[in-house]
Amino acid sequence: MIETIRNKAKEWLEKNDGGCVIGYERASDGMTARPVFIYKPYMVGSLIFDETCVHNLSKYLLNRRGLKTAIVVKPCDSRGINLLINEHQLDRESIYVIGVVCPGMKDAHFGRIEDRPLSKCRVCLHHTPAVYDVLVGEPQPETASRDYSDVARIEGISIHERNAFWKEQFERCIRCYGCRQVCAGCYCQECFVDELDPLWVGIRSGPEDNWIWNIGRAFHLSARCIGCGECERVCPVGIPLMLANRKLEKESADLFDFEPGMDAGTAPPFATFLKEETLEKVE
Amino acid sequence: MELTYEPRIVGFLCNWCSYAGADLAGTSRTNYPANIRIIRVPCSGRVDPLFIVKAFQLGADGVLVAGCHPGDCHYSDGNYHTRRRVGLLRPFLDYLGLDKARLRLEWVSASEGKRFSEVVSSFTDTLIKMGPRSS
Amino acid sequence: MNRIIVDNNLRSWLKELAEKYTLVAPVTSDGVTLFKHVKGSQVDSLDLQYSNTAVSPKGCFFPLSETMFSIGSDGVNVIAPVSTDREVVIFGIHPCDAAGIALIDRVFLAEPTDTHYKEKRDRTILIGLACNAPSPECFCPSVGGGPANPMYLDILLTQTSAGYIVQATTGKGKELTPAARMEEKDIPLPPPPHVTPVPLEGVSEMMRRNFDSPYWDRVADRCLHCNICSYVCPCCYCFDIRDYMGKDKIDRVRSWESCQSAGFTMIAGGHDPRPTKGARLRQRWYHKLLYFPELFGDIKCTGCGRCVRSCPVNIDIREIITDVQKLNV
Ligand code: SF4
Ligand code: SF4
Ligand code: SF4
Ligand code: FES
Repeated sequence: MIETIRNKAKEWLEKNDGGCVIGYERASDGMTARPVFIYKPYMVGSLIFDETCVHNLSKYLLNRRGLKTAIVVKPCDSRGINLLINEHQLDRESIYVIGVVCPGMKDAHFGRIEDRPLSKCRVCLHHTPAVYDVLVGEPQPETASRDYSDVARIEGISIHERNAFWKEQFERCIRCYGCRQVCAGCYCQECFVDELDPLWVGIRSGPEDNWIWNIGRAFHLSARCIGCGECERVCPVGIPLMLANRKLEKESADLFDFEPGMDAGTAPPFATFLKEETLEKVE
Repeated sequence: MELTYEPRIVGFLCNWCSYAGADLAGTSRTNYPANIRIIRVPCSGRVDPLFIVKAFQLGADGVLVAGCHPGDCHYSDGNYHTRRRVGLLRPFLDYLGLDKARLRLEWVSASEGKRFSEVVSSFTDTLIKMGPRSS
Repeated sequence: MNRIIVDNNLRSWLKELAEKYTLVAPVTSDGVTLFKHVKGSQVDSLDLQYSNTAVSPKGCFFPLSETMFSIGSDGVNVIAPVSTDREVVIFGIHPCDAAGIALIDRVFLAEPTDTHYKEKRDRTILIGLACNAPSPECFCPSVGGGPANPMYLDILLTQTSAGYIVQATTGKGKELTPAARMEEKDIPLPPPPHVTPVPLEGVSEMMRRNFDSPYWDRVADRCLHCNICSYVCPCCYCFDIRDYMGKDKIDRVRSWESCQSAGFTMIAGGHDPRPTKGARLRQRWYHKLLYFPELFGDIKCTGCGRCVRSCPVNIDIREIITDVQKLNV
């Protein structure tokens, strides 16, 4: 598998002078992976692919708009590419997608690989990339049944308990915006949280400001979040951000029958509507 | 003696229908509760979900978004988009612990002064029954 | 001979301290360890074996957000923030984090003094806990510290099988030690645990020579500019200030900011002296490894390993230090 990735990367670099391959290399802990940018064919030897390649590299494509780029993606990450093309942020022609059939990732953090799947992989449905120029591995069947038991657990507690639960979670947010920076869907020129006039949120941190920041972030990604789980992975204080995102994912699948990033053409729910929908239906 | 609780409602009303409807309620001397503070917006489609969340952050007990009936939007589509946004925001806020009954979307035309008054009265009653927000 | 306090006595002492002082200690919930205000009733469940907290305790003196002052609705009346004179005891702080506070002291306590910082600093007592579970990414001895270093603390406790050895280093610390709860015992200080060193020799000089190296752009390729490294760090101290309009007053609020974020150096008129990813990433390392040492003589890092552990894309200060020494000028 890794030899195929390296060969494809090398071939592509040889043909595309000035291009860059974004993939994974071994991290400084000697056991997990980190993103790598490869500019020269002779450097492809450092590319790796294993169960610690948790990062979604598609965000980096935004730093290379208009530049020739090849990228290694897992199925969930590949949806980020579709999302960005669909939202007119990327030009399909300038990117070469090396799609990898995903074996499922381990819960890997710096210096430690837990012997359990990464939480997003437990509920993952698609094991073959949604977009690719070259596919590495044999296509795998989809997982048919959705599992929203995590969301259902929160839905099942009383509204007061839910209120208290989320308050406690959001209260410890340090407003580093790591969740935003890592997200492929977060590319606003000026994030609502950085706007000065009006000062919607600003940099002040506190229970109320954190509440509006965290809701604003999640809702801006409603029907857009591709479920790569990166926000939750990077959060330095362990806020279960996917638990919020997945509620929106579940609702938008039910209401609008839409799964973000599965293709680059279907109009996203908030860019379209059906005249005959009734409020009851969306209620 | 029991203090009466007066909920505060922030109402985002579209200029072409609902605001005119509220105006009609006023000029025809139809009473409606003073609990609503009206913010006029060009179209219900102008209501960014952030406006709604911000109103709640600043202490609103309820938020009303009102626009033209489907098919009647001055900009033809604005209210269809609003319907989708509010439709998704309500269950989400509820999930985060803010009762979805505190956020309403209603269609009120320029000729429905009476309906506007009914909408505000029934929303106010609901909010009084629910009591002050705990969050 | 050393003075020893056994676990039971330590906890009853802490409960007593919680009455009189605001007690802050590392608390683990939802799998995340953070310094938090604790009540006497929580003392029994404190975990004293923790490895470094997710975020450093610098927020006790330099909060994530603080109102510096407010202006009344008349636009004239200045309202000072409400402060308390209740003293604070931070318990369980590791030597590296105390060193971090000492580094920030150099900046905030130098003339003109940052009064908001000083006020909190003056009424705080630091009770340290020698670190007995350093992480593989820790390197405190390389930057002048050590897992059992009592410097910068008022009291240091070191765990042994017979209880905790108590070393009071400052007047404040000596006054606070609970004489009645301790016993003299012939138990020596255990050797500190091993921490892998990082060669720092001559790093500042190499930094000086390599400002224009393409190396910085290459490392920055993968940087997300997420601020996580600066926010978890015990000695990063940049901030930004905003005015928040309230109903009857305007608050001037200062909050953490970071050289890594895109708008940080943007000035009026839209010019940004650090416009590229590489320039932003480079700043953090130059501040730590060159500018601060030029001004104050020491590297601005305590070797706590937090940025190494928390960086989502593995930008590792130890690797930067080693790489920079190998760069060709
Ligand atoms: S990554 Fe976590 S701590 Fe940072 S802003 Fe996002 S939710 Fe808050
Ligand atoms: S070095 Fe790492 S933690 Fe720091 S801003 Fe870059 S990606 Fe974030
Ligand atoms: S630079 Fe990194 S290792 Fe050094 S004190 Fe800051 S967080 Fe700790
Ligand atoms: S103008 Fe009334 S809803 Fe658009």
